Amino acid sequence: MSSSEAHETRRTGKTSEAGGVSEAGKVSGVTTSGPLPNGVEATSQAANGPVRPESPVRPDDPVRPDGPVRPDGAVQLDDVRHEYGRGRETVAAVGPVDLRVPAGEFLVLVGASGCGKSTLLRLIAGFEQPTHGSVRVSGAPPRPGTSAGVVFQTPRLFPWRTVRGNLDLALRYAGVPRARWPERRAELLARVGLEGTERRHVWEISGGQQQRVALARALAAENPLLLLDEPFAALDALTRERLQDDVREVAAQTGRTTVFVTHSADEAVFLGSRIVVLTRSPGTVALDLPIGLPRGGGVDADQLRESAEFNALRTEVAHAVKSAAAA
Amino acid sequence: MSTTPPLSEAEAEPGSAAAVADRPPVRRRPRARPRAGARARHALLPLGSLLLFLALWQVLAVSGTWSETLVPPPAKVWDAFLDVSTTHDGVRGYNGTYLVEHLGTSLRRIGLGAGLGIALGVLFGLLMGTVGWVRSLFEPWITFLRTLPPLAYFSLLIIWLGINEEPKITLLAVAAFPPVAVSTTTAVAAVPRSLTEAARALGASRWDVVRDVVVPSALPETLTGIRLAVGVAYSSLVAAELVNGLPGIGGMVKDAANYNNTPVVLVGIIAIGVSGLVIDALLLRLERAVVPWRGRTSP
Repeated sequence: MSSSEAHETRRTGKTSEAGGVSEAGKVSGVTTSGPLPNGVEATSQAANGPVRPESPVRPDDPVRPDGPVRPDGAVQLDDVRHEYGRGRETVAAVGPVDLRVPAGEFLVLVGASGCGKSTLLRLIAGFEQPTHGSVRVSGAPPRPGTSAGVVFQTPRLFPWRTVRGNLDLALRYAGVPRARWPERRAELLARVGLEGTERRHVWEISGGQQQRVALARALAAENPLLLLDEPFAALDALTRERLQDDVREVAAQTGRTTVFVTHSADEAVFLGSRIVVLTRSPGTVALDLPIGLPRGGGVDADQLRESAEFNALRTEVAHAVKSAAAA
Repeated sequence: MSTTPPLSEAEAEPGSAAAVADRPPVRRRPRARPRAGARARHALLPLGSLLLFLALWQVLAVSGTWSETLVPPPAKVWDAFLDVSTTHDGVRGYNGTYLVEHLGTSLRRIGLGAGLGIALGVLFGLLMGTVGWVRSLFEPWITFLRTLPPLAYFSLLIIWLGINEEPKITLLAVAAFPPVAVSTTTAVAAVPRSLTEAARALGASRWDVVRDVVVPSALPETLTGIRLAVGVAYSSLVAAELVNGLPGIGGMVKDAANYNNTPVVLVGIIAIGVSGLVIDALLLRLERAVVPWRGRTSP
């Protein structure tokens, strides 16, 4: 545990001092051949673009769907309703919901617990079929494993495998050729800040680190859509903030369409480029709010969190969530 | 093992005899010492109980309550042990075979029979745990089989398979099969949906899920089933070797019993028990090595 704590501590200084720069340098170091100038974060990112050594489209690789003509991860919900149970026991969980999430958007679904936001995410992931209406991802009905990467509320790692084993499994399912696993593994671990933990058992690492592995695992397949279901709810505030920074960064770097479920207005405003507030069960759209906060490389997360604009939005969303839950 | 709570440690008078004799340097490393003590107690307790048992046995034997044929003294049993382990008066061990060879023959039968039963049990368990109708089809049969005492079907096996190795190995296989099948079925059916779903979300095929999630997830329970199965096979050993069981440790026991040779019967029983203990310890060790994640559920 002590090494994990040291690691977490190292990440604390990320945005303010040298620790963050070396972190960024390390991320880049994996992906480029030469060492990078130990410059500011923004510079190294600009030099690198999205952290990806290869060109986005490789003809020999079937699982690289984020090229220009590949599926874009856009989500389309038409009159979606979902019920659990049958007959008199039927409980309406969601809907009706009409929603379009264009490619590249970071949508955050907010609502009080039990409002059906997780159900909505499961429908988008393709784990369940809606009882009414249609769900489409990249223009087709969603299929688990191919249309979206998913991070769940709990890490759901395989305890019989090490950190490395968990990632390898994801790479194998994604169809990545075995020869490229070491490189991709290192890349994924660097992206979630977990270098050096490959050989650890997943029960030996902290909850925050486990969720990072889960995030890396979900990124392995490079699906055009990333779905996260309250992934940080069980973590302490400090770890949660760090992981939020990471998710924001990953989304900005990869340009992936993202749907993130949370009950926290704070988290929603920080992460989302658009926020949808759901009413209480059966959840329908109560508020659809674009967020104009700066995104992309070079944004100081702490400054952003302290800005007046952020706090005004947060208050607005928090009020909306409260009144939507009461309505 | 209960280690002394730290509270009483603080309460103990620093100079009192009990505190000094019990654990003088405990204060520095309050954890390491009791743990070492506990380990010693773990080893000493069984040893102590064994000595006590031998003493009681000796007392009982010399008291003359029962005849020596019924309760031979420990020394006689030890002599019998030496007899069946060596060549004496031109006789090689028991019935021309040393004790170790009797035991070896029996272990080979157990290895083959229980191995077969375990392999089938795992296979059936996987099938029954994953495919609903297979479970409905076979579960009553397995429960039926499980409740039968091995002796009940041994006669039938002899009628069908003769008196050589086949009925013995079959009996051990039939005895070992149900525990593994039942535990594997239960474990497979109880695989956390959160994990199978996580695998599916990563793009796993149905077969991938079985191989990478279902099997490892069920493995701890299956290994417990295997330990049970080996135990059941062991306890069926004498039954399996009732007919034409020589050489074989069970056959030896049966044969010696025919001649009221109680010391050899006891030697055989002790040999079966001790080898069973050793094998169980090995299986336990294997289990720890193979499933280090046992009890560590993934959140």
